[in-house]
Amino acid sequence: MFSSTREGLALALPAAIFALLLFLLPVGILLSEAFQSDTGWTLKGYTDFFAKPLNRTVFLRTLKLGVLVAGTAAIIGYAAAFSIVNLSPAARGRVFGLVVLPLMISPVARTYAWIVILGRTGIVNDTIVGLGLSETPIRLLFTETAVFLGLLQLFMPLMIISLVSAMENIPRDVIPAARVLGANWLQVFFNVILPLTKEGLVVGGTLVFTGALTAYITPAILGGSKVLMLETLLYQRVNVANDFVSASVIAMILIVMSFSANLLLKRIATART
Amino acid sequence: MKNLSTWIILGLTLTFLIGPFIIIIFAGASAGEALAFPPDGLSLKWYLKVFTIESFRESFLLSMFLAIFGTFVALLLGVPAAYALNRYDLPGDETIRMVVASPIIVPGIIVGLALLRYLVIPLDFTVTLALFMAHTALVLPYAVRVVSSSMNNLRADMEEAAVLLGCTRFQAFTKVVLPNIRGGVLAAFILGFVTSFNQVPVSLFLSGPGVKTLPIDMLAYMEITYDPSVAALSALLAFMSLAIVFIAERLLGFSRYV
Amino acid sequence: MSEKHVSLSNLTLSYGKTVAVPNLDLDIVEGELIALLGPSGCGKTTTMRAIAGLLTPTSGTIEIDGRDVTRVAANKRGIGLVFQSYALFPHLSAFENVAFGLRLQKMADAEVRTRTDAGIATVGLTGFEARKPAEMSGGQQQRLALARSLVMEPKVLLLDEPLSNLDARLRLEMRTELQRVQKETGVTMVFVTHDQSEALALADRIVLMKDGKIEQLGTPSQLYAEPNTAFAAEFMGFENIFRVEGASLVSETGQLPLGFTTQSALLAWRPSGVQVGHGPFHGRVLASSFAGGHREYVLDTSLGQIKADAPIETVEVAIGETVDFDLPLSSARPLAA
Repeated sequence: MFSSTREGLALALPAAIFALLLFLLPVGILLSEAFQSDTGWTLKGYTDFFAKPLNRTVFLRTLKLGVLVAGTAAIIGYAAAFSIVNLSPAARGRVFGLVVLPLMISPVARTYAWIVILGRTGIVNDTIVGLGLSETPIRLLFTETAVFLGLLQLFMPLMIISLVSAMENIPRDVIPAARVLGANWLQVFFNVILPLTKEGLVVGGTLVFTGALTAYITPAILGGSKVLMLETLLYQRVNVANDFVSASVIAMILIVMSFSANLLLKRIATART
Repeated sequence: MKNLSTWIILGLTLTFLIGPFIIIIFAGASAGEALAFPPDGLSLKWYLKVFTIESFRESFLLSMFLAIFGTFVALLLGVPAAYALNRYDLPGDETIRMVVASPIIVPGIIVGLALLRYLVIPLDFTVTLALFMAHTALVLPYAVRVVSSSMNNLRADMEEAAVLLGCTRFQAFTKVVLPNIRGGVLAAFILGFVTSFNQVPVSLFLSGPGVKTLPIDMLAYMEITYDPSVAALSALLAFMSLAIVFIAERLLGFSRYV
Repeated sequence: MSEKHVSLSNLTLSYGKTVAVPNLDLDIVEGELIALLGPSGCGKTTTMRAIAGLLTPTSGTIEIDGRDVTRVAANKRGIGLVFQSYALFPHLSAFENVAFGLRLQKMADAEVRTRTDAGIATVGLTGFEARKPAEMSGGQQQRLALARSLVMEPKVLLLDEPLSNLDARLRLEMRTELQRVQKETGVTMVFVTHDQSEALALADRIVLMKDGKIEQLGTPSQLYAEPNTAFAAEFMGFENIFRVEGASLVSETGQLPLGFTTQSALLAWRPSGVQVGHGPFHGRVLASSFAGGHREYVLDTSLGQIKADAPIETVEVAIGETVDFDLPLSSARPLAA
């Protein structure tokens, strides 16, 4: 009954064509701009871009923060996921719901809270000055740390969700079996949990890394123009200088980085066995 | 080993994740003039002020429009696609899946810029139309993915049984498939709605005077002043999103589909 | 009544480029219970789906009641199909499941009710009307699926592996049920199975299929006692099949001299046809298991392994010991190549 390919294509193609024409095509053209020049295809756009120290700094900073956020999210994520999986079913549902909750709230709102926490008259500074640790409030906003914290908070739920899902698929008695055979918790983690949840780690890692890489709101609010990331740089270049070539270059870099991260993590995941 | 450390880890994690949200609620409820936590005194004045700001009202309506209709169109395109990809053996179905999922991979800001440069300016699309298409494209991957996972749980022989009992193919779809993927479709709608409503990067370049989505409007407002009204608005929006999700969970238990 | 009810002529069925069933000819008589029997991949399910209209033939024709239905859509053939997975509608109650097809015909509500109630009563599910399929046992679900098809008063009822999912006791119940329904309604039933004992128990005629072709067509007793080919014999339980060369049976392992002459190329014996305890041949017992009324042995002989069943009264022979046996002419089935 489902053998008519024509029928099937008729149902599936509208979505594909929509995505192709109204999305992939414009984006593709935009990306190709980075390669254009008066004399045809060239990599000049890229070489010019990386020639400027500011751009190099922004690129490295974005990469660094991406890796840091993903790494930290993985560590905390595993701890949290392990705890969640060991709760009673009722508690597990509720805690899981609380973890997923922030995802439904606008990133603007979630990032905004950090202003309250990290600002000159915010909680952290009030505590520091109050305890006498410093005479004047420390500048916490518009630093890499602020952006790091904001991104971590934004994307950690994704990592936790992936890891919980992966951990739920660990056969029930495998961990107790390892313990009975003499493994301490560190050994259990590296020899049992990690190998069995690596797909979840890959999915979570990719989501967090690409999310951190391509974040706009958090770096914009918490980093401003002092701590530029690739996306805020892109916005600035277009808005301020009408520099579309830079925009294309940055866009391409972002896509390539996301893609490579995905491939790399997948490679690592399958190589472990 | 388990209990104490479990609760500590979870406690800290949840505080980290949700604490900021709590802070915003109370910062917005400040009786004072500046943004601070703990707030000097409690008052609902900033919450009320939010409703009086004209541009917030307009951008709220635009965001709602995009979220509701953009998601609706995404489902209109996505449900048949998910159905076909699941039931038929299509040549190039991997390609179709990738094309339809691509909006998730490309950073939103690039999408907005591309649409601006190649659709709005040269082809004279209105900004609103471009925004609408961008939001629809953004939600499309979610629509296809969530509905696909519902379809995977539905055996094909049920449709065959319906046809043998006298249904046309379309009747079989509406009478047998649709009622059984209803939860998935609704979940996709809610996911799409929330994604679209909270979206910023895509709308950055596609916004202009008079055409702003609510999150963009909030960002602009924040550049001018740090008063608690943004906190209040953020809290209100958060409550709205949560209310929608909560109701959906009650009605369907939709966490199954996500 | 021996009217041709369903007629398949020169039917070729393919999946893409692969031909599953080449040039099949089969006539099904009205009111009979016929089984399509064979191993997986033999084309029995493919043929059944083609009769139902779920698969369009590459060439050939299908006629029902003299009417060419080859190009007729599946929802207009008046055929019933009970799926192996039952394919019940999970979102509808038992009553609504059975009433589904009737409602499509825009029948008056009262008539729908009467016929549905009757259908449910026929399969013994009165009282279950409000339940959802998920709230019913496997056996009940299958009867519900049966009622759903029967209530449409189909000309032909197809059943895909009707007994495979059931445990032994339910299998017997269902078998009785199907035969009863068939006698009462006189509907032509075609069922597909890979289990020869099911086919033997239920069918009026059996169509043994292999690689998309009919290997042998006959009544259960014909197929049981008189399989015509090695494949058929093996499928029907003749586990000991050997080539004949001159006056001996030969295999890769060795040979045994026959005490009689024969023209056929092959000879086959059921395990029950092998005589254990006395005879001119010897074998060493490799395995032995108790099967209630008899004991099943696997013997290591110069011909290789021979499966032999001994009646329970004979003395048990232990594993590793040697026993005499015979392959008598009386229980041999001659086969062509």
